[in-house]
Order: sequence, then structure tokens, then C-alpha cells
Amino acid sequence: MEQTMKTTFKEENNSLVMYFEGRLDTAAAVQTERDMAVLNNANGKDVILDCTNLSYISSSGLRLFLGLLKTVKPKGSHVYITGMNEDLRQVFTMTGFTNLFEFK
Amino acid sequence: MSLSPHAAALLSEYRQKQDELKQLSQLVYDRLRQKLIEQGLELNALECRVKTEQSLAGKLERKGDKYQELTDITDLVGLRVVTFYTDDVDKVAAIVKHIFNVDWKNSIDKRKTHELTSFGYLSLHYICYLRKEQVNDNDTAALADIPFEIQMRTALQHVWSAIEHDIGYKGGTVKLPAEYRRQFSRLAGMLELADDEFSRLRITMTEYRRQVKSLVKSGHLDELLLSTDSFRNFLDLHPFSKLNQRIAAVNQAELFPASHMSFLPLLESYGLETLGDVQKFIADNTEDAYQLALSWLAVTDLDILTDTIALQNLCLVCSIKRGEGLAGVERVYNVAYGYSENNEIVARTIMDLAKGLPFYK
Repeated sequence: MEQTMKTTFKEENNSLVMYFEGRLDTAAAVQTERDMAVLNNANGKDVILDCTNLSYISSSGLRLFLGLLKTVKPKGSHVYITGMNEDLRQVFTMTGFTNLFEFK
Repeated sequence: MSLSPHAAALLSEYRQKQDELKQLSQLVYDRLRQKLIEQGLELNALECRVKTEQSLAGKLERKGDKYQELTDITDLVGLRVVTFYTDDVDKVAAIVKHIFNVDWKNSIDKRKTHELTSFGYLSLHYICYLRKEQVNDNDTAALADIPFEIQMRTALQHVWSAIEHDIGYKGGTVKLPAEYRRQFSRLAGMLELADDEFSRLRITMTEYRRQVKSLVKSGHLDELLLSTDSFRNFLDLHPFSKLNQRIAAVNQAELFPASHMSFLPLLESYGLETLGDVQKFIADNTEDAYQLALSWLAVTDLDILTDTIALQNLCLVCSIKRGEGLAGVERVYNVAYGYSENNEIVARTIMDLAKGLPFYK
């Protein structure tokens, strides 16, 4: 059965952290965008996207990450991505998105 | 600390005016900062402060009788503008003149008052007042009667001043021997010279950038050495746009803008010396770069890419053609995107794909 997408939001050590679990594909993007709205109010705090349990990201998912970056970066926040698996990392490298985000 | 009754009265008045002084300080700081930003001036520092009670008491103890009223003390509120270049000190001064009333009688340009044969503290101090129209409500009207001091100097003048203060060159109880004073003068002279040279260099660089821009525009690419400046200007011609569009068309992808500058060291490592060489590098590798991008993009549904996709694939192809192998491909990613263990895995994928393409030897 297809994995569903689940996000969990937490505030940890003065950072906003979102945990992603499952497949971030086009179908899951609408709900995930709603879930990620809370990150738009980072107001200078670091934002951490924990992708340890994210198995797949589609273009729609990339757009969500980019949208977040465009919203919070001008207000002084850093967006860090952690725990990406090899496949995800490959997508980021080959598309050139590696240079836009910070990785932990 | 012993203060005369007059000095003590001035100190007491200062305490009562604390809120007003803070308000004035903030108002002046905000106005000046806004104007400096509008004029695009890059500063080393912009600081403001209200004189501390301890500092004022010290001043009153030393020369309290000199001041009839509290407003005779012109540095109760002080701002310091530290610029990178000497030319900018004059620019800041012009802006200050434009937005505040300057009390010329009490202002001082220490750069001009200096003796021709000596060096040392060079700074511009203006004593200013807010204009009536800047304090047009009843709450702030009184602020227009309080003077404030704006010091304008370069970063090197600031360093000089800080060291001079730290060593106690000025105002020390012991008169320094001529030998040490000479040493100070030599250092001050050197800083002044450095300040002038930095200004001169800025003018030269600006002129060079202008020339580069015009040469790029007129297409004289072979005459332009590859450098950060020339490459940035070259990018204005969108040299990778055609290949980017072609690659993006594979998946009808949207192109997201990203910086190309991290690829510059790679281009230099391929021995490209002029922008003409870069143009030839693009022409020589475009078809192969497209084929390489096509081979991995076609099997994905990715419809968003950065606009470095063309340059990335051009570099990958160039490294492979030069026989650099897996290490060369990995180096492209390490240089352009920073080192990551994952880069080797991506490089292996690219090498596997390249092996099926005509350009691979």
C-alpha cells in the first residue's frame, strides 16, 4: 500500500522543526502546504525540515520547500534540511537546488 | 567627585531630561539611517548614544564653568558614522547638512584644522539641531532646541582614534618623548595614505567594471579576462538561457533562478582565460550537455529546475571529456555545491549515464 504523508511540527531549541514522514508527492502536497503554513511565521528563527523519514519528494514538494524559503529567508530565517536519504539528495543535487538550501 | 553648585544643577537638569535625550537620539538615528540607506551608502558602523551620567559628571568637574546652560554641552546626544572610504565621509556630511540644521560655529572639520606637517586624529564633527518641521507636534517641539553631535570618519580613522584612546596618547599625564610621538605620526600618516589608496582603488575598480560592462555589451569577449566581475557581466547576456530552455523543455519544467558564481572556479580549472573561451566552451559542449541532462531528466517527472542546470551539465560533460572520470564529476559537485558524501553517489549515476552517450571516451 502507498505510504501516506504525515508531518509533525515542534518548536525545539528556539527553532521551528517540521518532521516529514512518507511520500511528498503531488497528492500529498495540498495538505502538506497547509501543515507547513505554521513555518511561514518563523520571524528570524531557524527552520529545520527533518526529512529522515521522507522517502520521496516530487516537484510539488520541491515547490513547497522553495516557497517556504522565499517567505522566511528575507525575514532573516535560515532553512536547514536534515536527514535526507540518497535519492532525495540526488534530486536536489541534479536539479541544482542544493545551493539554495542549507543542509545539516 | 566634587561639582560646583552650578555644575550640580546642570547634572540635575540632565537627569530630568533623560527621556527627551533618548527620544532625540532615536529620532536622529532613524532619520539619518533612513537617508543613508536611501542614498545607498555602505557603512562600517552607525552608532548613537546618550552621554552617560558618569561621563557628563566628569566633564562638568573638569570644565563645568564653561557651560552656562545644559544645551551648551553639544554632545549629550552623539552619533557616529563610520564609512569605508574617505570620499564617503564627505557624502555623509552632505546628507547631514541636507536633513539637519548644522551649527557651523561649533562644528569642526579636524581634517582641515590639522597642521600640514603633522598627522593624527582626522575626523569631521558637526553640531546639529533638528529642523522645526521635524518636530512639529507639541510632544517633541522641545527637541529642536537640544544640540547633538555627529562624528563622521572612516574605519581607519576610527581604528586610529580607538588605539590613540587606548594607549592614552592624548590627554595623558606624562608628556611623550619626541621619538614616540614621531612613531605615532608615522602610523597616522600610513593610515591616511591607506585611506586615500582604498578610495583611489575603488574609483579604479568602478571604472574597470564600467569598461568590462561595455566590452561585454559590445561583444568583445576575447579581450575580457575571466574574473568574478567579467563573468557576472557576461551572465547579464544570459549565455546559458538557450540550453536551459532546451533542457527544461524535456519535462516542461519551470526554471528557478540561482547563482552561477560557484561554477567560476570550475571554468578557470578548465583553463578558460577569457569570456571568449567561455563562449567557445558553451558552443563546444552544448549538444553533449543536453544529451546528458536528457538521459537522466527524461526518466523523472521533475518539472522544476534551477537555471544553473545548463552550466552544471556543461561542466559535467567537460570534465568527462577531459578524461577526469568519476573524480572529475564528483569535483564538479563539490566545487559548485560544496562537499557532501552523497556527491560521489550522484557522480556514479552521472558516469553510468554518460557511458551510453556519444561523447564518452
